[in-house]
Amino acid sequence: MFPTSKPDPSLLRGMTQRRLGRRDALRLGGLSAMGAFLAACGVQGKGKPGASAAPDAVAKFWNGKVKNGKLDFANWPLYMDPKKPELKKFTEKTGITVKYDEVIQEMGPWFAKVQPQLSAKQSIGYDLMVITNGMQFGQFRDAGFLAPLDHSKLPNYAANAAKSYAQSAYDPGNVFSVPWASGITGIAYDESKTKRPITKLADLWDPAFKGKVGMFSDLQELGNFGLLAAGLDPAKSAEADWKKAAAKLQEQKDAGIVRNYYDQGYVDALGKGEVWITQAWSGDIFQKNVSDGTNFKFVIPEEGGTIWTDNMAIPITAANPVDAITLMDFFYEVENAATLAEYINYVCPVPAAQATMLKHAAAQTGEDKEYLESVANSPLVFPGEADYAKLHYYVGFNTAEEQQDFSKVFDPIVLG
Amino acid sequence: MTTSPPHHAASVRPGTGQHAGHPAIEFVGVRKDYLSHGEAVPAVKSLDLAIGQGEFFSLLGPSGCGKTTTMRMIAGFEEPTAGKVFLDGKDVTDVGPNKRDVNMVFQSYALFPHLNVLQNVSFGLERKKLAKSEIKRRVGEMLEIVSLTGMEKRQPKEMSGGQQQRVALARALVNHPRALLLDEPLGALDLKLRQQMQVELKRIQREVGITFVYVTHDQGEALTMSDRIAVMNSGLIEQLGSPRNIYERPASRFVAGFIGTSNLIDGQVSHVDGGVAVLDVAPGERVLVPVTGQVQPGRALEVSVRPEKIDLHRTMPHDSAASIVSGVVTEVVYHGTSTNYTVATSAGSDFVVFDQNAHDAEDVASRGERVFLTWAPQHSYPIGV
Amino acid sequence: MNRVKRTLAPYLLVLPGGLWLLVFFVVPMVTMLSLSLQEGDIVNGYVFTGHWQTYVEAISDYQTQMIRSLVYGAITSLVLIVLAFPVAYWIAFYGGRKKTTYLFLILLPFFVSFVLRTISWRMLLTDDGVLLHPLKEAGLLPSGFQLLGTPTAVIAGLVYNFLPFMVLPIYVALERIDPRVVEAARDLYASPATAFRKVIFPLALPGVFAGVLMTFVPASSDYVNSELLGGTSTTMIGQVIQSKFLHTSDYPTASALAFALMAVLLIGVFSYARALGTEDVMKVAAR
Repeated sequence: MFPTSKPDPSLLRGMTQRRLGRRDALRLGGLSAMGAFLAACGVQGKGKPGASAAPDAVAKFWNGKVKNGKLDFANWPLYMDPKKPELKKFTEKTGITVKYDEVIQEMGPWFAKVQPQLSAKQSIGYDLMVITNGMQFGQFRDAGFLAPLDHSKLPNYAANAAKSYAQSAYDPGNVFSVPWASGITGIAYDESKTKRPITKLADLWDPAFKGKVGMFSDLQELGNFGLLAAGLDPAKSAEADWKKAAAKLQEQKDAGIVRNYYDQGYVDALGKGEVWITQAWSGDIFQKNVSDGTNFKFVIPEEGGTIWTDNMAIPITAANPVDAITLMDFFYEVENAATLAEYINYVCPVPAAQATMLKHAAAQTGEDKEYLESVANSPLVFPGEADYAKLHYYVGFNTAEEQQDFSKVFDPIVLG
Repeated sequence: MTTSPPHHAASVRPGTGQHAGHPAIEFVGVRKDYLSHGEAVPAVKSLDLAIGQGEFFSLLGPSGCGKTTTMRMIAGFEEPTAGKVFLDGKDVTDVGPNKRDVNMVFQSYALFPHLNVLQNVSFGLERKKLAKSEIKRRVGEMLEIVSLTGMEKRQPKEMSGGQQQRVALARALVNHPRALLLDEPLGALDLKLRQQMQVELKRIQREVGITFVYVTHDQGEALTMSDRIAVMNSGLIEQLGSPRNIYERPASRFVAGFIGTSNLIDGQVSHVDGGVAVLDVAPGERVLVPVTGQVQPGRALEVSVRPEKIDLHRTMPHDSAASIVSGVVTEVVYHGTSTNYTVATSAGSDFVVFDQNAHDAEDVASRGERVFLTWAPQHSYPIGV
Repeated sequence: MNRVKRTLAPYLLVLPGGLWLLVFFVVPMVTMLSLSLQEGDIVNGYVFTGHWQTYVEAISDYQTQMIRSLVYGAITSLVLIVLAFPVAYWIAFYGGRKKTTYLFLILLPFFVSFVLRTISWRMLLTDDGVLLHPLKEAGLLPSGFQLLGTPTAVIAGLVYNFLPFMVLPIYVALERIDPRVVEAARDLYASPATAFRKVIFPLALPGVFAGVLMTFVPASSDYVNSELLGGTSTTMIGQVIQSKFLHTSDYPTASALAFALMAVLLIGVFSYARALGTEDVMKVAAR
């Protein structure tokens, strides 16, 4: 079940813990999975007419579709409590049985796998899938592979989802998708070593931390921080900006400030004191602190951090779309959103789930209570308005050629 | 470093060379144990032996008898557990093989597979740091002696077994060692080549005049070539002597059985008459055996007689001066020059008789026939007396 | 009829293996070769245009990493010879009845995944890990000293991971040496050292040769060790290829680099084999 190419020692300890986030699954998923996955995240069809689905397209799709009492759900590994309490509850409530498969490991291969069937207008065997806001999302959308959502069937979403998602660049108005969970890229640090709070990207360039700074080897993540540090907005950047950002990053490398360019290994490096301050993914640091009792800090830098989102979508050839959209909406019931986030620890798209989680916490005692409280109060699960304001989406590419150019600019830094 | 060997050692020395002072090789009170599963297993139990200068000396015995261990102690590959080894009167017990002036011809030749003939043969002289011209001269000379001139550039694997054998010989002899050790050197050759090499080895030994110590399990080889033979069994020398002495007067039942074929008769002395003991084995049958010293009637004796010494008769002969035993032929095997009979005798054991095919064909006894075996008294030997 | 069967039999025997090689080796190789000559991008697909310039660009962009990989590979092989020879020698000549056990022990780390082993090395070599911490405490090393991220760490990791591939062939070569040949050398006045130099080592050379082949090639194209143990300037060509394939989906460049690496290694191996043909190696060493 677990490809064992790259387990992380802290993870091996984590396995005995009660909870295991999706990042850990990615960590298990293969040496390259994370990088490829995140690279995919960033490559999106900027400027494509996201809300292009004509009003009658919704009617045309949903016309005559009925509830069949079953559905097939494709998701990433460990993106739900293995006992699947939410799905059991869903079946009890609606009579719809769910076949849940953890078959998605990387966006590129997933797209490559289902694209032939979708092109041939055949079922891919799934009625619901969770896909990241990357290049493949745009490909799914633009190829007409995603069913336009009938928002009349999503009352909970309308009532409970954070409003900012409707303004996303990759799917404005949530025509084709609704968020499952999000993650934030920011800075993690060990205050016992840095001896001062870290607040801004410039701290990653501070010679005081020479040889103790970690950066991501993923070009998107690295490039984003280079751009933000240079005062540029990744989502609106062009090649000339990338070169400026690359120069800034090269300067950081040449000065010997960067210890290494990490993939998921940065958590371990932080834990061992190899790095004091590093680029980081929100869920990891939260997990690390919970499972290892460390006290690492995670901040969204003043200049800004980045966010990515995994979304639920219905393939156009789905056999049970009504059942699928029912499940979509089910996860926007506050109670269900709360229990899901309690397990996966990623940014929850339902703000009201925070209060529910605190209520759950109050009903518990000891460690469980502590744990739930810490999840509920984490800005990494429920970012505040100020946090959201600082979050940027990744660099958007109009063409794959642009993406290649982007790689060419940042490649020499990582592959030194 | 140098200890003189004990005085008595200089006594046993048939067929010696000129160095009257010291034997070429001498073992004094040597024992060799091997560790096996943490236990000491003796390979050589007790060995006192002196090999003379220029002697062709064979160590003969079945595998595991200790002969190879003995040789390896001469070469320096094994260190005795107890006792001392002397070469030319010098105590070499603790001296490494590279510092001993003896050379060895290995069982499978052990030629250096990565070197050609010339390099193989020069190996020892190069280690001795002789002048290049001297090495060249001596190697050339030696290759001539072993008839390998013109093959200098050959690799061992390109040569026949006989040729490899001669390279091994040359490689050892070229160093003019005090003694040459040969560990079953002919074992891998076919019969004809083996016989040829036996003659060759004898010739070379005469030419170079150095001591040869020859390890073999082949009694024929040992008998043909040696000045003296030590027959070993279970880590001990059973008998030491000339080939004739070993063959005709085996000192033990083991030697009698190991060297050639022997017919053995157990019996009691009925009387002694003029230095000849008479054993009555059955009514009208007897075995005569010359004895020395006091042998009392009634004493049990084990007597050996070689198959080729026996005459086979189809009718009862009348020769009171010979041993006579009767029996029934159980096997007849025709060998061209002789016919071999197996006869179940009244003396107890089965006799083997080699009968020269000097007579007419119809005179051959057949299976199931009752026959009479006779031989002269001097061909019977009491064992261990 | 029977004769036909007999002539066909060897070919039929080759068939399964041959098909396997064709399907799983030749076909992907040809595909990769074709890929290296294509142009395009991941969204619109790649089209074969015979664009060989990709090779020129790829090699000029990544020659540093290419050369670095070959240098690391060569150092790794050299260090391995020095480390593996005594081990193989000891097992072959002093291993006694426990030879198999010792060989098994050498292979034991291989029962753990390659990556996991390297990860455990990460933990071992880390700045304040079991290795460096005591030395720093004792004042033998400055507190800022680090092994991870240095070429030393990468090469040490390669050496560790490929050790059995050097030990085993040398062991096999040594094991095949007739002990009597060594005794013959000793008998012919060679000291133990001379016997080693003149007989044992030359006879073990084919094993060393095989060991170099089996370590230099994979060490040069390895990416795990430099990825996990290396730093910002120890990138090896394997990492570049991996990154081009998996992270940036630049298949033509990745394929071109893979082919260029293969060509360099093949040329290297063949010239090595030619220059040091085992026969000649022995002759040289014997002098």
